[in-house]
Amino acid sequence: MGHFTSTTWKAFLTAALIIAAVLALIPDANAQSRKDAQSGKKVFEKVGCFRCHGSAGEGMPQTGKEAGSPKIAATKLSLRDFLESVRKPKGQMPPFGAKQVSDEELSDVYAFLESAASQPKPELPSSASSKDGEHLYTAFGCYECHGYQGQGSVQTGGSRIGPPQIPYSGFLAYIRQPAGEMPPYASKALSDAQLADIYAFLQSRAQAAPSKAIPQLNQ
Amino acid sequence: MSPRTKASINRRDFLKSAAAGTAVLAATPAPPANQPAADRRARAAVRISPEAELRALSGGEVLTAERTGSDFMVDVIKSLKIDYVCSNPGASFRGLHESIINYGGNRGPEFITCCHEESSVGMAHGYAKIEGKPLLVMAHGTVGLQHAAMAVYNAYCDRVPVLIIGGNIMDATKRLSQVEWAHSAQDAAAVLRDYVKWDDLPVSLPHFAESTVRAYKMAMTPPMMPVLLILDAELQENPIAANASLQVPKLMPYGPPQGDSGSVDEAARLLVAAENPVLIAGRSARTPAGLAHLLELAETLQIPVIDQMDRMNFPTRHPLNQTESGLALIGKADVILGLEVNDFWGTVHSSRDQIERTSHSIARPDAKTISINSANLFVKSNYQNFQRYPEVDIDIPADAEATLPSLTEAVRRRLDAGRKSAFADRGAKLAVAHDESLQRARDAAAFAWDASPISTARLAAELWAQIKTEDWSLVSSATFVSRWPLRLWAFEKHYQYIGAQGGYGIGYNAPASVGAALANRKYGRLSVNIQCDGDLMYAPGVLWTAAHHHIPLLTVMHNNRAYHQELMQVQIMANRHSRGLDRATIGTTICDPNIDFTKLAESMGVYAEGPISDPKELGPAITRAIEVVKRGEPVLLDVVTQPR
Repeated sequence: MGHFTSTTWKAFLTAALIIAAVLALIPDANAQSRKDAQSGKKVFEKVGCFRCHGSAGEGMPQTGKEAGSPKIAATKLSLRDFLESVRKPKGQMPPFGAKQVSDEELSDVYAFLESAASQPKPELPSSASSKDGEHLYTAFGCYECHGYQGQGSVQTGGSRIGPPQIPYSGFLAYIRQPAGEMPPYASKALSDAQLADIYAFLQSRAQAAPSKAIPQLNQ
Repeated sequence: MSPRTKASINRRDFLKSAAAGTAVLAATPAPPANQPAADRRARAAVRISPEAELRALSGGEVLTAERTGSDFMVDVIKSLKIDYVCSNPGASFRGLHESIINYGGNRGPEFITCCHEESSVGMAHGYAKIEGKPLLVMAHGTVGLQHAAMAVYNAYCDRVPVLIIGGNIMDATKRLSQVEWAHSAQDAAAVLRDYVKWDDLPVSLPHFAESTVRAYKMAMTPPMMPVLLILDAELQENPIAANASLQVPKLMPYGPPQGDSGSVDEAARLLVAAENPVLIAGRSARTPAGLAHLLELAETLQIPVIDQMDRMNFPTRHPLNQTESGLALIGKADVILGLEVNDFWGTVHSSRDQIERTSHSIARPDAKTISINSANLFVKSNYQNFQRYPEVDIDIPADAEATLPSLTEAVRRRLDAGRKSAFADRGAKLAVAHDESLQRARDAAAFAWDASPISTARLAAELWAQIKTEDWSLVSSATFVSRWPLRLWAFEKHYQYIGAQGGYGIGYNAPASVGAALANRKYGRLSVNIQCDGDLMYAPGVLWTAAHHHIPLLTVMHNNRAYHQELMQVQIMANRHSRGLDRATIGTTICDPNIDFTKLAESMGVYAEGPISDPKELGPAITRAIEVVKRGEPVLLDVVTQPR
């Protein structure tokens, strides 16, 4: 290890200042300095990301007129690519400019999505009753949009949920905070235990026979 | 309907006096107000004319007439080649009614007895979408027009021509009973004026003739709409003077409005240059020619077509039909062409009905949009069916069907080998996507296949299995059965689908299906109606009309025992307020008791079976029903179904 002359030191300091200044101008670097998951959750809700991507970024299946959206929790994108995907999205996502959400805010959203992915997911309780769920499914109006067997309808926008196409955790989250047209089911009106029963009922619905085996569907 | 409670003894002085001079009238002082009614009538009878006076001298009042104004009205109506008049009888047009069935021989037009004016207009609505021309509706003064109003609004929103005549008694001194006063109005057309294209109040027979031909001409010019004439009873019932000079005006239709060449050429430039264009059809095909024109354009461009099916615009099994992938295609499109799209803004936006009603564009920010829509040529203020303002880049206020040939020609002029090759590649990919989409629909239809109540997918599939070899026509909307027929059946011809209500007024489907079946009858087509229970209950008497006039029609009930759309709406409110989630059925369901549609239909002379809840019983029931329909009669199958 040698030692610095004052000229060398000045040169080093100058270079460091320049690098720092450059880094400050790069969104990625600046954003990485924040990463506040709590703030990110607020931004996520304020901007309305949850409407398409779900309350925890779990994504949405295609439902009727709604095209569905990808899971973004625990995204494999780098922060820089994440910012790019928000500013210049591909596919159907609308672009969000810096006036709508800043780079700093987006870095917080990124942190929120990372933390959301690491949180434990609720599991379907073993006490869930398919029989009780069948009654609740009808009584609480789920059949209105999804059909008595959960087969779904393109007219109502209710997706096929019998048997479910998403895990229980996503089911629970979506029903509490739906992204699309679905009316929300708040916990004070429909408990987690009742929702578990409904999910168990939907799980008990049979998969459809292959359509090719049904003559009326091959004409 | 209400009978005129007193015979009119002098409903003829207007024309008679015109023919014979008014000297007698002028010389006769008015009777005093306190004179007894019988005296006033007698005095009035003396006033009428020299001819009447001569008869009176020979000992009899003139009580008959050889030829009345209504006979000439029939001459005018016949000149328009109107096949049917749908009507619930009403005294305010009794003169025209009688002339149609006797002077006109009840042919061209033939009187179709309806049980409700809403049914009359609803039938006219369905008829016009098959036959491409209006039929005549006659409605009673005030009350009949009020009954007709909702159906007129539907036809107005759906751009459908209907020729409506409403009765009235203009001269207050000629209203002989309280009934006639109640059924007369100063401005009888006012109740419909906001949603008809034009209305008039003829005060003479030549005026009637010109206004009727003018009304027909206007109704048949895009954007097509209902038109209304208010007809004074006196004008119908008074004798035609011997020296009257009456002629039926010639009908010379307007040509449909075409898009200007500059805009059309610019649209063609954008479409040819586009890498991911998409075409959306609403009411594009007014006639079979419209379907052919759209096929030509789509195949020239190898452009994906999203058919909103307000009319039968494009074959459902054509490789370019990408309706099921519509949202994704709009999302990636660089050029979006809308043809008679009712709600362009709503087509390129996604909305969300939560406490905060939000919406966002689903189109690319750089997408170019083109609209050809004749609706922009005629917009009224009060009723808001014109939808949200769409910011389109090229907005062509013209009839799409009439404009398509020039657009296709402009596209062809711009084609070179490179673009043709690119289009061929695009077409090949779309063909694969179409096949995949059809398979996805079939796979989805397999869910709940054996369910009871019967799934709407199975209902559609069982029907298709048995009608596909017939010359069939679906004369009902497919909206409330999750569009399954449109997803599973092979629609090819223009008459195979007629769209929906237009104004979303429930009560349309039952009469429209009977009217469409009436139009299909002479072609020997098998008319099929998937009928919602709530819709039928508005005016079920149209079943009797179908039986009475031997209109062959296969009606299959989509009986979900609810006003289901409203049930979902109340559910939204209950969820939003987090209370009573299990009470949304109050006021929205049609059960306890369940309606026995079989007995309802049978009571009106319609062959019926049901209720059918077991899906395995549906196919054989359809087989039996088709046999009856082929004998020229209506049939109703009551099928208990899933909600949607």
